[in-house]
Parts: sequence; C-alpha cells; structure tokens
Amino acid sequence: MAVAAPEQRLARLERIWLERPGILGWLTTVDHKRIGLLYFWTTLVFFAAGGTEAMLMRTQLAQADEHVVGPETYDQLLTMHGVTMIFFFIIPMTTGAFGNYLVPLMIGARDMAFPRMNALSFWVFLGAGLFMYSSFLFHQAPDAGWFDYVPLGLKQYDGGLNIDFYALGLIFNSVASTLGAINLVVTIFKLRAPGMSWNRMPLFCFAMLAASLSLIFALPALTADLIFLELQRKLGFHFFDPAHGGSALLWQDLFWIFGHPEVYIIVLPAFGIATSIIPTFARHKMVAFPLVAMAELLVAFIGFGVWAHHMFATGIASTTLVFFAGASMIVVIPSTIQIYAWLMTVNIGTPSFKAPLLFIGGFILFFVVGGLSGIMFAAVPVDQATTDTYFVVAHFHFIIFGAAVFPLLGGIYYWFPKVTGRMYDERLAVISFILTFIGTAVTFFPMHIVGLLGMTRRVYTYDKGLGWDTYNLVETIGGFVIAAGLLLILFNIFWSYRRGEPAGRDPFHGGTLEWTTTSPPPTYNFPVVPTVSSAYPNWDEPDRQEDLRKLERGELVLDAGHETVVSSVNDARFDEVVEMPPESPWPILLAGALTIAFAFLLTSHWFVAGAFLVLTTLMLAGWHSQEPEEA
Amino acid sequence: MTPPRFRRLLPACALVLALSGCGGNQNTLHAVSHPEHEITNVFWVVFGFSCFGFGVIVFLLFLGWWRREKPNLPRGGGERAATGVVLGMGIALPIALLAALFIWSDVFVTQATSAPAKGSTALSIHVIGHQWWWEVRYDGTDVVTANEIHIPVKTRVDVELSTADVIHSFWIPELNRKTDMIPGVHNRQLLIANKPGVYRGQCSEFCGLQHAHMAVEVIAQTRSAYNTWLANQEKPVPASALPGAKIFQQQACSGCHQIRGTPAHGDVGPDLTHFASRSTIAALTMPNTPANLLQWIEHPQQVKPGNLMPDLKLPNADWTALERYLETLR
Amino acid sequence: MTATAVRIARPNGWWGMALFVATEATLFGTLVGTWIYLRFENAHWPPPPLPNPPVLTPTLLTLALLTTSIFMQLAWRAAREWRRSRAWTLIAVAFAIQVFYLSWQLHDFVLAVHAFPPRASAFSSVYVTMLGIDHAHVLVGLLLSAWLLVRIATKITRYRLVALQAITFYWHAVNVITAVVLIVTVLPSV
Repeated sequence: MAVAAPEQRLARLERIWLERPGILGWLTTVDHKRIGLLYFWTTLVFFAAGGTEAMLMRTQLAQADEHVVGPETYDQLLTMHGVTMIFFFIIPMTTGAFGNYLVPLMIGARDMAFPRMNALSFWVFLGAGLFMYSSFLFHQAPDAGWFDYVPLGLKQYDGGLNIDFYALGLIFNSVASTLGAINLVVTIFKLRAPGMSWNRMPLFCFAMLAASLSLIFALPALTADLIFLELQRKLGFHFFDPAHGGSALLWQDLFWIFGHPEVYIIVLPAFGIATSIIPTFARHKMVAFPLVAMAELLVAFIGFGVWAHHMFATGIASTTLVFFAGASMIVVIPSTIQIYAWLMTVNIGTPSFKAPLLFIGGFILFFVVGGLSGIMFAAVPVDQATTDTYFVVAHFHFIIFGAAVFPLLGGIYYWFPKVTGRMYDERLAVISFILTFIGTAVTFFPMHIVGLLGMTRRVYTYDKGLGWDTYNLVETIGGFVIAAGLLLILFNIFWSYRRGEPAGRDPFHGGTLEWTTTSPPPTYNFPVVPTVSSAYPNWDEPDRQEDLRKLERGELVLDAGHETVVSSVNDARFDEVVEMPPESPWPILLAGALTIAFAFLLTSHWFVAGAFLVLTTLMLAGWHSQEPEEA
Repeated sequence: MTPPRFRRLLPACALVLALSGCGGNQNTLHAVSHPEHEITNVFWVVFGFSCFGFGVIVFLLFLGWWRREKPNLPRGGGERAATGVVLGMGIALPIALLAALFIWSDVFVTQATSAPAKGSTALSIHVIGHQWWWEVRYDGTDVVTANEIHIPVKTRVDVELSTADVIHSFWIPELNRKTDMIPGVHNRQLLIANKPGVYRGQCSEFCGLQHAHMAVEVIAQTRSAYNTWLANQEKPVPASALPGAKIFQQQACSGCHQIRGTPAHGDVGPDLTHFASRSTIAALTMPNTPANLLQWIEHPQQVKPGNLMPDLKLPNADWTALERYLETLR
Repeated sequence: MTATAVRIARPNGWWGMALFVATEATLFGTLVGTWIYLRFENAHWPPPPLPNPPVLTPTLLTLALLTTSIFMQLAWRAAREWRRSRAWTLIAVAFAIQVFYLSWQLHDFVLAVHAFPPRASAFSSVYVTMLGIDHAHVLVGLLLSAWLLVRIATKITRYRLVALQAITFYWHAVNVITAVVLIVTVLPSV
C-alpha cells in the first residue's frame, strides 16, 4: 500500500463508509448509529403513546365513579399501556437504541456483527408496532391485560380480533427482539477491539450481553405460549381448557417463564447506563468491577428461576411455593452488590452532580424502594395479601419507571453531546430532573398505601368511601408532573440540538472508547481500530497516543475497504479483518412483506399469508445473493 | 439533590398514619383474624427493616452529595475499604436478613395462613366466581345466595373456591390472604373472623369489563344470629299473588334466575330466593333500596355496562310491579 | 489458499447461527415442557379413544435423517479444503435424504391430523403442534441447503464457506431436536 497522509486515509474511509443521502439513505441504512437513532425516535413515539394511555387512565381514576372513559376503552388502554411500555418502548429503547448506538462504539468496532440484520430488526419492530397500534383504528385493541390470562383471553370471552392483534403482534415483535439480541451478543463476542478481554469490557456491554442472552432464552416461552393461544383461538386447538385436558395455569407458567426474566431484561441495560455514568462523574473506576460484572450476568441467570412468584395466589403446592420464594430472595443479592458498588464509587471518587448523575441518584433511590417492596413479595404471606393490588402497581412502577427509565433519561443527557456534538442545557436538565423525580415519587408512592388499603389493580373505577379518593387524586397530579418533566427533556433535546454549545470530543472525560472519537462519531466510528489495555481505555493516555501514531503508519486503519476487525471470543486477540455489507433495500422490503403476511394471518386468510411468507423467503435468497468482495 | 431528608420521611409517616388507623374497610393491615395478624406482623417487620435499609442508602447518597466537587476531603478509605463495604453490606448482611425472613415468613407464617385440612372445620362454604358476581353455597343445605357470605364469628370456615367462567380471585383483606379461582382447579381458603362485623372484599384477578364491580361482603355474626339467618335462607318462597310474580315468570327473568319455591330455575344469574334480605345489588354496585332496584332492573347496562343482564323493554307499570315483588323476597 | 488457517476462532456467521439454534432449542424445550405439563393434567395419555402415536415409521425416518449430519459435516470439511464438487455432492446426498424424510413425514402428518384431531383433546393439540413445528424446522433447513446447492454449484467463496459451516451446525441441531421430539412422542407407546 502506498504511503499516505492521515488526512488522505480519513478521506478514503469517509468515502468508503458514506451512505446514500436523503430519505432513501435512512430507509436502506445499515449504519448502527443511524439505526440506533431510528430506534430512538420510533420508541419515543411509542413512549408518548403509552404515556398518553397512562394519563387517560389516571384521569379516569382521579376521582371515584368518574366517566372519562368506559370500561371497554379503559381495558384497552391498560393493556396497550403495558404492552407498549414493555415491548415497544423499553426493550427497543435499551437494546435497540442505546445498545445499537453505543455497543460498537464502546468496544471499538465499526458496526454491528450483522449490519443488514440490524436494519431488519428495526423494520420488523416498526412493522410489529404499527400492526399492534392499527388495532385502535378498529376499536379492537388488546383488552385482557398485558399478561392476557386465559380463559379471559380465549375466543369464548373475547370474541373480537383484540387478542389476535395481541398474540400475532407479539410473535411478530419477538422476531425483531430475537434478531436484535443475537446481533448484540455476536457483536460483543466477536467485534471487541484487540486487547479488550472480558475483564476489560465496559460494564455497559456486560449488561447488554446479559439482557440479550436473557431475551434469546426467554422469548421462546412467550412465543410458544402465544402460538398455543392463536391455535386455540383460530383453529380450535385445546391447550388451556381443562374440559379437554388442557390447563389454564399452563398459560401463566409459560408467560412468567418469559415474564420474569423480562423484568431483568428491562432493568439490566439501566444498570449498564448507571455503571457508565457513575465512574465518569465520580472520576473513579467502578468499585468491585468483577463483582458487578458477575452480578449483571447472575441476575439474568437467576431471573429464570423465580417465575412462580407471580403465581403465589394460584394455589400451587407449598413445596413449589417455598422453592420460588427462596429463589426470589436469592435474586436480591446481585442487586444489592451493584447498589453498594455504585454508592461506594460515588463516595471514594470526587463526585460532580451534573444532570446525568442526578438521574442516577434518583434511579438508586427508586430502585431501592422498588427492591424493598420486591422483597415483600418474596415473603409468601405478604405477597398473597398484596398481590394484584395497587401495592404491586407501585412496586413495579418504581422498578420500571424509577429504575429502568430514570437511567435512560440520564443516559440521554450523558450521550447527547456524543450523538449530536452539542451540549444540552444543564439548568433545564436539572429542572427536568426535579420535575420527573417529584412526579415519580408523588405518582407512585401513594399507590403503595392505596394498595394496602385494598384497592385492586385494573379497576376502571372505584367506589367512594373506601379511603382511596385523595391518594388517587394525588397520583393523577403526580402523573401530570412527570409528563411536564418529560416534555421539558424533549424540549431540551430539540433546543440544544440547534442552539447548544459545541461539545467537543469528550466533555465529561468519560472512560470508555466512545469518548475517544469525535462527536458526532464519523460513519466509520474510529479512524484507527483502537487497541485496549484496561477497562477505561479513554483514561489510558499512552494507548490513545499510540492510536494516533498508528494512523500515521496506516496500521489498523482498514482503509482498503468497508471493513472491521474480528477478534477471538475470550481474550479478544486479533483474528481477521472482515468485509462489512453495504446499505441494502432488502431489510425494509422483507419487513414490509412480513407485516402484510401477519395482517393476513390476523384476518385468517391463510393462503395469502402463506404467499407472502414465500415471498419473504425469496427475498432472503435475493438478499444473500449479494456477497462481500473476495479480498 | 433537591429533596431534603424530611421530605423523604413524610410518605413513610403518612403510611404509618394511614394504615394503623382503620380508614376504609378493605384495609389489608387492619387484621380481624389470626391469619391476617400473622401477615401484618411480617409486613411491619419487613417494613421496619426496609426503612433502615433505605436510610443507609440515602445516607450514602447524601454523603456523596455533601462531598461533591471536593477532592480534598478525607476519602473515607480507598478501593479496598469500598470493596469491603460492597461485600459486607451488599452480600453478607442481606443474605443473613433474607435467610431469617425466608424461614419466618415462607416456612412458618405461610402455614398459619394456609387452607384448613379438608373436613377439619365445622362449616364449609362453596364460593363460585361468575362474571361479575359471587355465588355462595352452604354445604349440606339448600342455601344459595350471592355476594354476601354470612359466617358465625370465631369459627373456622373452610371456603372452597371455583369459577364458572374466567379466573377470579377471592380476597377479604381484613380476614386472610387472597386465593385465585381457576377453571379446573379447586382451591380452598380458611375464613375466620374474631369479632362480628361486615368485611368487604373484591375480586382481585382481572376478569373483564366489570372487574371493578365485583365486590363481596363477609358478614360475621354471633352464632344465634347466624343460625336464624341460615334457617330463613333455607326456606323456599311462599306462593305470591303479586302481579310482579307473574311478570317474573313470564318474562326473561326466570330464564336466568332461580327463586326456590317457584318455577323459576335459571342458573345464569344469582339466585334471588331471599334477594330482599341482601344489602346490595349487583355485587355491591349499589345499596339495595327500592329506587336503586328499579333503576337496576330497568337499565342494568347503564348501571354496570357489559354485564350479562340485558336491558329489557317492558311497560313502566311492569317494572314497578317487578320491583315490588322482589322487595317481598325476604 | 486456506482461508481457515489464518482464522483463530469461529466466524461471526457461525455464532449467529449458534444463538439462533439456542433460541429455537429453547422453543422446543418449551414444547416438550408443555407436553410433560399436560401429561400430568391427564389421567390417560393419550386419552381414550385415541390410539398411541406411531413408532416404527418415524423412528426409521429419523434414523435416516440423522445420517445427514455426517454428510453435512463431511461436506463442510471438503469445502474447507476448497474441494468444491465433493462438497456439492455430499450436500446433494444429504439434501436427497432430507427431502425424502420430509415428504414422507408430511404425508404422515396429514394422516396424524386426522387420527389425532387437535380439536378433540389437549394431547392431540400438543402432539400435532410439536410435529408441525419440527417439520417446519426441517423445511427451513431444506431451503438453506437448496440455497447452498445453488451457490456452491459455481464457486466456493469465504462467504459461502461460512454459510456452509453455519448451515451444517443448523442441521446437527435440527437432527438432535427431531430425535428428541421422536423420543418424547413415542414414549406413550413404549
């Protein structure tokens, strides 16, 4: 190769990695950063939809015997709120948006392991989301709760298409989640920068790895359950009715075998964000790094052994009860390890309470409240008294909103300068923190009390005189405070995107690799594939100086083609350079065909649906006829 | 961090205040039975430890807040000490506390609240969940009633729980834990009340449109009051000459409801034999007053949208006649 | 010449397939779990008057299918040494056996749907579902193999080599899964 100046190398990289401009570029993109942004904005829209549903419900519940919405609408709202927040907001936001954008940057790769499959999972996710939400157009949104217990979800008690939208939509969406999870795992296994052995991998990536592995092993239980449900609803099979040898509890067991790991899938990325933000703002490496990494993987693993604690009131045998209660107590330990590791890192470092760390502080408090009430559910008698009341609603909103969404909000501020190249407005950010923090406490804390006072979940209205009125009114007011805080964050994003100060490469002096490259990162991420010798490579000055010298020498610049480095799984030794596929129209076309196939499955037009499935197969063949150039 | 420490304590104080008094009558922590006492004990102990644990976290967080931007303050130990705290507070202490809680609550208290051995109680009742009301049958008698469970005070009652349609969950917060009613499953629960009173409960598994209006009352009475009540309930209805009685038989009413002593033997809706002796209509949706009753029979879909009782078209005079007749079913 | 010599670990494509197989194996784990779960809900399994599921034909067919693992593995070995026509022939042999297997099984599947109508009982529902999903996985394998046959007919590239490695792994997994499904479904007859 001819000797070239660094500028020429960069220009060449720029040319190689350039994608088509305009809308068409976004539709055919395989760039993990653009796909991450597509995920981000799409999931924000779903978040807004789920939030609107929540606010409608809270308005209905603000007073006793309110008539804002009827029971039919209320049931659809409560089901879609749960389905949206879990399947169309948090999972795609964490693994899709944050995972996609950040994992390759943090491990020093130029893209995900399977860029086109990455695009496919986004488009399939979008298709599934639109499929699910189109149900509102027909006033037939899912209405049997997000866990859709049978027999209530069977044709006999729910004759419309409501539950078919739910079952097919979730099967469809799990295609996207599974593909995304496989992609993240292979990326983390194989595309780590040379030298990034397991003990040097950012904890964020450990969290993403644990969440993705959980998805891979948890989703099949849900998929099987939903297939059974649809076979019973559409074709008259028998899985869930005791009259024909089925079992209503089979649905619950399978659902929660998926459903509890799901909880950890939701919070693990949040843990990952916390372990990214805390060392940066405490200016100190994470305390007990290996313990935290193990805890993240362990919590995902133990999470598979606790599902029956969602079923303590079903009358299961007492030995089963005791086993699952014990497992549910054990699963607390990995979380306490992490909480103390975070707090001790803050305390032995020099903390700077900028907005991202404030959100993490709020996260820790809410997570502890939700965790402590969680322990109460591992005490079987207390669980049996409080389950299916607003006490549970309080508990899981502290976990899902307090512990999963707060780090996301902190993470949005933390990586905003990296993604846009501009600083967010700190003062507005602090105000938005105060609003969301107070709002969350005011909305969800009284739910504990009203739950102990006997208010059951999923009631569309309640009677006066049970002592619930004031608490419910307070909760509704709190809900609007949260909404105000979230809108302020959105405003901050838009405002700062246009007016913010230029942020530079590394405004917070973060420790991980994404801060070594420019903001926003170039399409090829890194001029030189970095070489790593610790868990906080951006704090290793000599290594980064060496990268600059490599750019001079043209070493690991890979400017001969559209390439990235593949390394060995355990110790990340340099393995080979592989050609990455270019942008492609196949993912979006394939997702479109699949969406149509699912629409015809919904309406029971089996042959048309089959024809579209054949079409997707042909498309796959077309997709894989494009091969990378032989080196 | 915005909130000063006392703001954080306020909710906890509010909780104690709200729960220690007997505010509503569906209060989990207002125990009127031995099993529920055990449950509340566990709750309060865990709550106490939780406050302590939360306090430690808040302390550590505010310690960090207090030391913000000040690298020169004493460090409070280095990496080793910090790891020590993680090992001690994050692993050892929780394991010890959780093990104790596990043995106490999951081994001992669970037994105290569990269902009685079959046949070990003097009285057993069969409660069947329907969308959206409760059928109550007294074993060994003809008594069938709805949405009202009468029991003698200080007596162990074995409640058998099943469902006629979807999953419901039986829960009387002041008396015991909740137990699901699942198709194909026969669960049981111990019901005991230490003092006479009316204890409200509510279906606590989502069961469809009117899940919100599926409440039930347990009425604990002295032994003699209970016996009187039971004797009255056992009696069929004497023949009635009221015009309402005839309308009831001729119209759709009798297709769904049973009135013992008349030809009406429907088994879709609640048994109405002693309807007028009950205090509420439609599973505690409204008090059983003549005006409410008239409204309910005329416009059931307005009062409780989606319930299985249809809006019938009858002349006004017929509605009043029906209402008068039902009022006589004492 | 040998691309494999410089590589020290398995390629991305293999890992992708391994994880896909992991999630599919979990799906079958769930199906088998459901089978066992429902078995304990029923006093008689299969419930009368249903006959026991057939044993002999599916066992022989599955044994035939299992041999294709050997052919696929040999094909990959040959391809790794860039022996294209040998690899192609081996895949073709495997493909022929797989097509034979699936056609016979689909024929029997139609019979099974009539002998064990899924609308009659939970037993026949889970039986037919499990067989159906298993056959669907064999069908996917056939499509993958067909694609390989077309591509390798002309040339072996590194890309196709990785595909062959991954698809070979897929077949191993599907064969093991099919054997497990067979064992589970014939147990009531043994």
